[in-house]
Amino acid sequence: MNRFLAKTDVRTKLAVVICLSGIAVFIQHIYVLGAILIITILCAVLSGVSLLKSIRSTKRLWYLFFAIVVIQSMFLRRGEAILSVRNFTILTSGGILMGMEFLLRVSIVLFSATIIVTSNYREIIQGLIQLKIPYDIAFMVSVAIRFLPLLHDEIKDALTAIQLRGIEINKIPFKKRLRVYSYIFMPVLSGAIRKAQTLSMAMETRAFRAYPVRTSYLVLKFSAKDYIIIVLSFIFTAAVFVSYYVFNFPGRVLCDYFQ
Amino acid sequence: MSFIKFDNVSFSYRDCKPVIKKAKFDICRGDFVALVGPNGSGKTTLGKLVMGILKADRGKIYIDGSDVKNMSLGQVGKKIGYLFQNPEVQIFALTVEEELSFAMRIKNIPDDTINDRVKKVLEYLGLSHQLHSPTYNLSYGEKQRLAIAGILVNEPDFIILDEPTTGLDVIRENMLIKILKSFLTRGIGLMVISHDIFFIKKFTGRILKIYGGEIFEQVSG
Repeated sequence: MNRFLAKTDVRTKLAVVICLSGIAVFIQHIYVLGAILIITILCAVLSGVSLLKSIRSTKRLWYLFFAIVVIQSMFLRRGEAILSVRNFTILTSGGILMGMEFLLRVSIVLFSATIIVTSNYREIIQGLIQLKIPYDIAFMVSVAIRFLPLLHDEIKDALTAIQLRGIEINKIPFKKRLRVYSYIFMPVLSGAIRKAQTLSMAMETRAFRAYPVRTSYLVLKFSAKDYIIIVLSFIFTAAVFVSYYVFNFPGRVLCDYFQ
Repeated sequence: MSFIKFDNVSFSYRDCKPVIKKAKFDICRGDFVALVGPNGSGKTTLGKLVMGILKADRGKIYIDGSDVKNMSLGQVGKKIGYLFQNPEVQIFALTVEEELSFAMRIKNIPDDTINDRVKKVLEYLGLSHQLHSPTYNLSYGEKQRLAIAGILVNEPDFIILDEPTTGLDVIRENMLIKILKSFLTRGIGLMVISHDIFFIKKFTGRILKIYGGEIFEQVSG
């Protein structure tokens, strides 16, 4: 049972991710989103994703999300006032609810994305090609997957190099710190452009797009398990949409939510 | 008193064999030290350990008497300048003038001092004519000298240069040798990480050879 989804076809994983993310984007209900997040985490664990490692590697993103939740909760004035100073309302029930929904939504999208990453990048590209996505676009996706960690390392190196100029980043005021961060983009951007130029030259010398049809050593094949998972995922997604939009189930959490 | 001190330092990357094994040596202020060894022997790793970019698994590294583990990168950077293998990773601004002055502006150094230091360093490295030039238009050799200039404006006591001859022609290499020798006469210590033994032999000082994670004091140049 453990790592049940790990060996499935990448297209199956893609279908599961589309279903989960689709529900997260189109359903605005905290209980539904909560349940979908639990299912997403379960799918991620069954795919062999290390949750702690994923959370650790996206730590900074989570800080940003929490900041957005706080700001959203403070600026959205819907529902009952929960915290107010004199006549000025700081927190409302609708604001908190929307903030929580946002947090659940991005958590679902992030955790579902980790399911895809359990396949190697060659399988992902082949999956996209077999889904009839043009090879050029699939190749661009593969380049992005390969170069994103390098970009991350370059940003880290640039930050190190700038601190070695004698700048104690934790001791300078916030405004100046922002200025320091703005300088980091120069070497990172020039490095990315340089890499793109080198890569394009290397591709041309290896006859990229020389022939209209490409063959591949790796060919993905669906198994019975893949078909079952895909069908169940789409049935589940359709059931959620129908119950929410047609039968209005479950009902609204706050009656005056959108008033 | 030694300026850089390695006291039984060991280091290994995650899940890998040790790169540095119980390294023990001292470098005095104003010394010239060359760190040589084959590719992948841990030369750059050792340089990064000195700068506090990497943290030692065991043992202690001291800079001017202070444990590197207790120092921020900024504090280390004030004492030791580090020239990366690729100078382009340490060029941040759009113009030469801004490149040399932005770090000092952030540190609230007065404008007069900034202008004075920038002028002196550019004259010293033969880049005065490029003061207002865009940094991306400079040649490789000029970018390297600009990166060195960026280090020098901080007035460090010691400079570590990682493979400084990579990509340099004979003329630029000779120019670099002249600059580095002038640092030594000014009392600025140097650690040159290189596998270019012909370049190293142009200097008088110590040669540390790193092989199989161990450091051997090879010969005096």
